[in-house]
Amino acid sequence: MSSTVLKYEATAAQPFLDEITSRSGQNLQACYQCRRCAAGCPVGEETGVTPDRLIRLILVGDRETALNNLLVWKCVACYTCGTRCPNNIQTARITETLKQMSKAAHLEPLTPRIADFHASFMSAVRHLGRFNELEGLTIYETKTAGKELSKGEIKGVAGEMITQMRLALKMIKKKRLHLGLDKVRGTAEVKALFKKAEGR
Amino acid sequence: MEIAYYPGCSLHASSELYDIQCKMVFRNLDVELKEIEDWNCCGATAASKMNDFLAVALPARNLGIAAATGLSEIVIPCSSCYSRTLVSQKRLSCDPDLKNTINAELIRKVEGDIKVSSILEVLKPKVISGKIAEKAKKKLDGLKPACYYGCLLTRFPCDVEVPDDVENPQGMETVCRALGAAPVDWSYKTDCCGASASVNDADQSQLLMSRIMKDAVARGANCFVATCPLCQFNLDAYQQKVGEKYGIEKQLPVYFITELIGLSMGFDPIEMQVDRHFTDAMGLLKELKLI
Ligand code: SF4
Ligand code: SF4
Repeated sequence: MSSTVLKYEATAAQPFLDEITSRSGQNLQACYQCRRCAAGCPVGEETGVTPDRLIRLILVGDRETALNNLLVWKCVACYTCGTRCPNNIQTARITETLKQMSKAAHLEPLTPRIADFHASFMSAVRHLGRFNELEGLTIYETKTAGKELSKGEIKGVAGEMITQMRLALKMIKKKRLHLGLDKVRGTAEVKALFKKAEGR
Repeated sequence: MEIAYYPGCSLHASSELYDIQCKMVFRNLDVELKEIEDWNCCGATAASKMNDFLAVALPARNLGIAAATGLSEIVIPCSSCYSRTLVSQKRLSCDPDLKNTINAELIRKVEGDIKVSSILEVLKPKVISGKIAEKAKKKLDGLKPACYYGCLLTRFPCDVEVPDDVENPQGMETVCRALGAAPVDWSYKTDCCGASASVNDADQSQLLMSRIMKDAVARGANCFVATCPLCQFNLDAYQQKVGEKYGIEKQLPVYFITELIGLSMGFDPIEMQVDRHFTDAMGLLKELKLI
């Protein structure tokens, strides 16, 4: 059992709450801790922190735990919590916001692979305007393998490579692997949108 | 009837078979799919996790291109693309400043409100009007699908009009029944299969899939039906692995809704590439004498 008593950090709480409220567009203060969200969250058992707990952590101003817990990274954006919340609070929008804030604060993600996957996806889209599975996965595998090898995690990297090779072989056998690269003509437009996003 | 069409990246890559099937099926229903030109990736789950602006801006460029066609409706078969595009449209209409900022970068501006439809929204009226019954003559006797919707067909991160029941949608069942199949009643039709986590958080994704598979088997389904290529791929490609890991003995083929309609219309399964599934999808059809 985890303790339900959280320490209230009066000075830290307000600005932190204000930032998350405005960035996520969610009215966190409306939460009355009924835990309907927790009951439906498919990753709650694994993350420990459920949507209601995450909101509570923010309300009491525990910035460190709010930015650094498994739900922020493992949330699969299934929108079950928000659909069932009597106060329309979409926790997926809050976990998105926290991911972006933790990145801006240069915090090391708790689950680097998840962070690297989505970053690699976006690099591939920025490059050609479309997501090409081979390109995106190559960027991702190179990124994670590099990081994990530098930490000496040879076994993990080898296991990952075998898993992905097996999938690729299955895809080739079933004629599902697409080898050409799809590209939009309007890459300049797409790049301009990415550039604008950086300044925001 | 002409309708704009956004296939999305997946239908141009590993799920090209779905693109082929959509075109075959809709043509036969007298719906001409007009693929919008030079579309880009919608950003999928990644954009919303990484950058809020891009999550709206990437689909916005496609909405601008779609508006320029002058057509009144766009169909998006992939649930992820459908959801991201619909949410982008909603957020642009609620936030004129954001819309102006994005439009300033676009050659074809977002204007008007083209109707963004899932594949079920286009198919359902065809059931009601009797068009499907007229074209899909072969009854799919013996097929007991577990209709799998996943997250993004009925749950949205903002307030949009949901075209079906949120917790117990019936669109796919309606289509299946019109084809003579007998969909089972089950509990995991809108649960998440973890497709976006299948590569980067594999254990989590496989746990979610195992719950879905167990319930479908326990309810007596002999196949899954899906409309989303990401869910379909996930359940199809990893089913053997998840089955071994969680001791689920039965493996069920995962059909696209278009495969069932196409079969019923008498299309050749090889032409529809039904033989390209990871979990064998031809055996059951032979066993039931549907091919
Ligand atoms: S369902 Fe809504 S109100 Fe209830 S605990 Fe969760 S976020 Fe709070
Ligand atoms: S959206 Fe995230 S937090 Fe909400 S129920 Fe789904 S996984 Fe849990």
